[in-house]
Amino acid sequence: MRYGSAPRLKRDLTALAIVSAAYLGLSTLVSNSYYQLIMTLVPIWAMFGVSWNILSGYGGQLSFGHASFFGIGAYVVTLSLVYWHLSPWLGIPLGMVAAAAAAILIGLPTFRLKGHYFALSMLAYPLAILYFLQYLGFQEMSLPMHRDNPIEFFQFTNPHTYTFVAVAFLIAGIFVCMLVENSRFGLALLAIRQNELAAEAAGINARLWKMRALVVSGMIAAAAGGFYACVLLVVTPDSVFGMLVSAQAVVVTLFGGVASIWGPVIGAAILVPLAESLNAELGNILPGIQGVVYGVAIIGIMLASPDGLFWTIRDRFFTPKAPAPLPASLAANAPAMRPSAAGTPLLKVEGISRSFGGLRAVSGVSFEVNAGEILGIIGPNGAGKTTLFNLLNGVLASDAGKATLADETMTGKKVHNVCRMGVGRTFQVVRSFPRLPLLDNVIVGAYGAGFADAEAIASAARALERVGLADKAGVAAGQLTNKQLRLMELARALAGSPRLLLLDETLAGLGRDECDDVLDVLVRLRSEGMTVVIIEHTMHAMMRIADRFVVLDHGRVLASGLPRQVVEDRAVIEAYLGKKWAAKQDA
Amino acid sequence: MDLEVLIENVLNALAAGITIGCIYGLMCIGLGLIFGIMRIVNFAQGEFLMLGMFSSLYLVTGGGILAFLGPYIGPFVGALLAGPIVFAGGALVHKLLIARVSGLRTTGSLDEGHFGQLVVTLGISLILQNGGLILFGSTPQTVRTPLASSAIEVGPIYGDATVFLNKARLIACAIAIIVAVALYLLLEYTRMGKALRAAADNPTAATYMGIDTDKTYRFAFALGSGITAVAGGLMAVYLSFGPFVGLDYVIIMYSGVVLGGMGSILGAFWGGLTVGFVQQCSALVLPPQLQNAAIFVVFLMIVLLRPQGLFGRSAERA
Amino acid sequence: MLEVTNLSVSYGGLRALTDVTLSVKEGQFVTVVGPNGAGKSTLFKTISGIVPAASGEITFMGQNLFGLPPARRAHLGIAHVPEGRQVFKTLTVRENLEMGAYPKAGQDAWHHTLDRIHTLFPILAERALQLAGTLSGGEQQMVAIGRGLACAPRLLMLDEPSMGLAPAVADTIFERVSQIHKEDGVTILLVEQRVAEALELSDHGYVLETGRMVLDGPYETLLRDDRVRKSYLGLS
Repeated sequence: MRYGSAPRLKRDLTALAIVSAAYLGLSTLVSNSYYQLIMTLVPIWAMFGVSWNILSGYGGQLSFGHASFFGIGAYVVTLSLVYWHLSPWLGIPLGMVAAAAAAILIGLPTFRLKGHYFALSMLAYPLAILYFLQYLGFQEMSLPMHRDNPIEFFQFTNPHTYTFVAVAFLIAGIFVCMLVENSRFGLALLAIRQNELAAEAAGINARLWKMRALVVSGMIAAAAGGFYACVLLVVTPDSVFGMLVSAQAVVVTLFGGVASIWGPVIGAAILVPLAESLNAELGNILPGIQGVVYGVAIIGIMLASPDGLFWTIRDRFFTPKAPAPLPASLAANAPAMRPSAAGTPLLKVEGISRSFGGLRAVSGVSFEVNAGEILGIIGPNGAGKTTLFNLLNGVLASDAGKATLADETMTGKKVHNVCRMGVGRTFQVVRSFPRLPLLDNVIVGAYGAGFADAEAIASAARALERVGLADKAGVAAGQLTNKQLRLMELARALAGSPRLLLLDETLAGLGRDECDDVLDVLVRLRSEGMTVVIIEHTMHAMMRIADRFVVLDHGRVLASGLPRQVVEDRAVIEAYLGKKWAAKQDA
Repeated sequence: MDLEVLIENVLNALAAGITIGCIYGLMCIGLGLIFGIMRIVNFAQGEFLMLGMFSSLYLVTGGGILAFLGPYIGPFVGALLAGPIVFAGGALVHKLLIARVSGLRTTGSLDEGHFGQLVVTLGISLILQNGGLILFGSTPQTVRTPLASSAIEVGPIYGDATVFLNKARLIACAIAIIVAVALYLLLEYTRMGKALRAAADNPTAATYMGIDTDKTYRFAFALGSGITAVAGGLMAVYLSFGPFVGLDYVIIMYSGVVLGGMGSILGAFWGGLTVGFVQQCSALVLPPQLQNAAIFVVFLMIVLLRPQGLFGRSAERA
Repeated sequence: MLEVTNLSVSYGGLRALTDVTLSVKEGQFVTVVGPNGAGKSTLFKTISGIVPAASGEITFMGQNLFGLPPARRAHLGIAHVPEGRQVFKTLTVRENLEMGAYPKAGQDAWHHTLDRIHTLFPILAERALQLAGTLSGGEQQMVAIGRGLACAPRLLMLDEPSMGLAPAVADTIFERVSQIHKEDGVTILLVEQRVAEALELSDHGYVLETGRMVLDGPYETLLRDDRVRKSYLGLS
């Protein structure tokens, strides 16, 4: 469980209970059978939206093909009923299993893609299945009547019962979503959505989490689809695998609010009745009115409030309470830090090189960093400093050479595995989850290092203490200042209990005083035994805290040694100020 | 006897593949312009194809303006005129909707604005498809021309094996090639074309040169829509279509553009040609419903195995 | 010609420039030097309109640039040779230069400027039909400068032309820039990390450090001032 989940869960569960009771109460008053059907469909589409939300809302992997899973659920239930007389009690779980298998099959190749390629490819799957089914001759299938055994076969005489069951399904789906949202699963997904690279650098195995999200998402979608078949009693390939079905998941969730439990519910509650009623009233003259409504809704919401109604309403009308400070005892249970013996070499870089096309970005770079020291990497623009970090961290593969951390090889490992070895990294551009509290932003680092929930919270709390932000733990990251955001990045790296910190331009854009504050934190960390390698341009800052410098120019090590020596070094002066200046100095 | 039939089938499939492939090539150029220049994934490109078909239909049949041209010339002029009509529509769509979720406004934002573009164009696609259903009805239509039922006979080539070149498709193919060449000349040799390519290559530098990237993108979007619409008008001559025809072709278009390599307009033509070719040849072995499924499989294989396509510049893969 | 008054700019959430004032008179060669992260590129981006100013004023030839869209500024005669060259990689050398001549002033003077560019950088004539992306760093820099000249500019702004270039190549580039200034009388605003070369060519220099102008004056004064070195090497 995440820190602070308990009150949020309680609030959401209470709200869920109230809303469900109200909805069900309302449904008993409705007698018109068409409107009764709509009241049943709303929770089904909401549940489908919830499933989509898990992968695409929280996880940010936009999928335009969720109909694959919905349709699989529907067809498994239908086919198993028709051919095996299997009750939907078994058919729906069977459909969920089939969907999980499909998710793995689909995910394995498709997650190698990102962004628009991913969305497009996801579109291809349900359409391909649709064509295949049409080829096989499945035009329209009716579910056989079993009115004698309503409960066994989900065929109730009283239409209200369908609504109750639909709401029950939705509640189950929301439950799963709540579990996801309030656990490290949810935070990992949000981190991946926000900045997959930074998430990996914090130790999150993005591929694995995305796959898990797809499987969970697919299973919920299949359950929705399976029940949908029971409600409509007729399935055609187009009605469950078609474009409009995939679109409905997207529209309903985007409209209502991505990455929130209530989004799909709000979206479905508004759009489904709207579209269906318009279809009923005007369907004769305006046969495509449903699609038009969805299209307009989705364009409107993207232009007006891209995150969805829920967030717009919440931001406008609900000012968050002042957050309670973290109890001081929280950090006490943090896992022990692992300082290495001071003075011994911790990081050894030997002959690392990397070229891009013909350009040698990093060429034969070698240096050592001793435990407990701060090493400054400096050099003119374009010298290859960030590329060097990317090579150490696993973001890029090196062409030659290697790097070891306490004699264990770093190079060649994937990013999240390098993090697990004990390497923390910050990036030039800070990305946070603006709506989440600072603690949640930081704790991702602890999850990445493999800590269990309670340990992770403690570790994050301690990390915040170490950077001096403990009192801001509950503040939403969107309200933090620049300096605080930089410290947040640092805390996130610290939360994983690293042995080595790679800091990339942590001081960029900070004023003099803010700089000093951050520098104080770094000095304090060093006194606790942390080893730091830092890239910086702010020279006066580096002079203050670096124990040694390594100067890079055009991808090579130009000089290294004590700061005073390095800045007097002629080669260095030449690199920064030019040959003529250095010559003039000699004269 | 069987060998002759086989050869005849193969040769006819090849012929059909090339003629239809060229038309697909033109269709893909339209998308390639948009995808390649603006990096916008336009979900609604299939609907621009559809609008091209219907524009041509209404221009040519019944009380349409071009009815006087008769069924031999009319359909083809209609196809060409569909271009400017959809061009105007595309410009409007870009100005009102697309520009607000793309371009310089979103560079630097988290996902370079892809999310917004994808979703907005999905919305446009829904509106156009279903709006089309309302306006045009669901009865399948064709732009009728007697040329569609007559063919030039080439042969006999081997025994009795004859290649039948459908006249309507042949003319459509020729027009497609002419339009593609004209576009190529526009892009290579005119000031506007070069500005387009510059804006695609490096929008910031283009702005430094004084090129108004917003207007340039609008032109590219409108041009891309119009070109795909012309292809649609040409296809209308031998296909029967309804408001949802776009869906069938959107994956084909993307397959062609990705195969040709994103960013290469010429590549898009070759990609489209290849995809059309594969589709027609697959008719030799696959039943009709599976042909499109086969294209999807091809699409997936391309993005997974060689996302930069045949002529592409950069791989945009994980 | 160019007056920047009390300019303050925030970029990427950071305060990039604070209260910067500089002036470039017609026919002058002005250089802005400063260590990395000082805000030099941001200054150019703001003059070009890509980055909005938070406060302060920029006037060019008496016209206030506030609110003028970036694409219009080139048409006024401001040529920006960007940091990292930013050539159009998929266009040929000749097409790159043609794009430089996009504004009307450039089009009118095209033949004359093309000759001039080929005289200054003969290799561009040789490689006219080659794709700019395949050229070496130094050659790309020449393309970028040629592009800047192609619009027959009143003000030529060069952002770190020596970056990433081997010293000998950078020297050639500086020579050419000096030639352009002396022989064609083009007003030049140069931003550079390589202090000595840059200052030597210029009439007036400004030193930018963490977003503020800390020093300015004619070349000789600055060269004698040890504060410049200290600022670069963090000894202040």
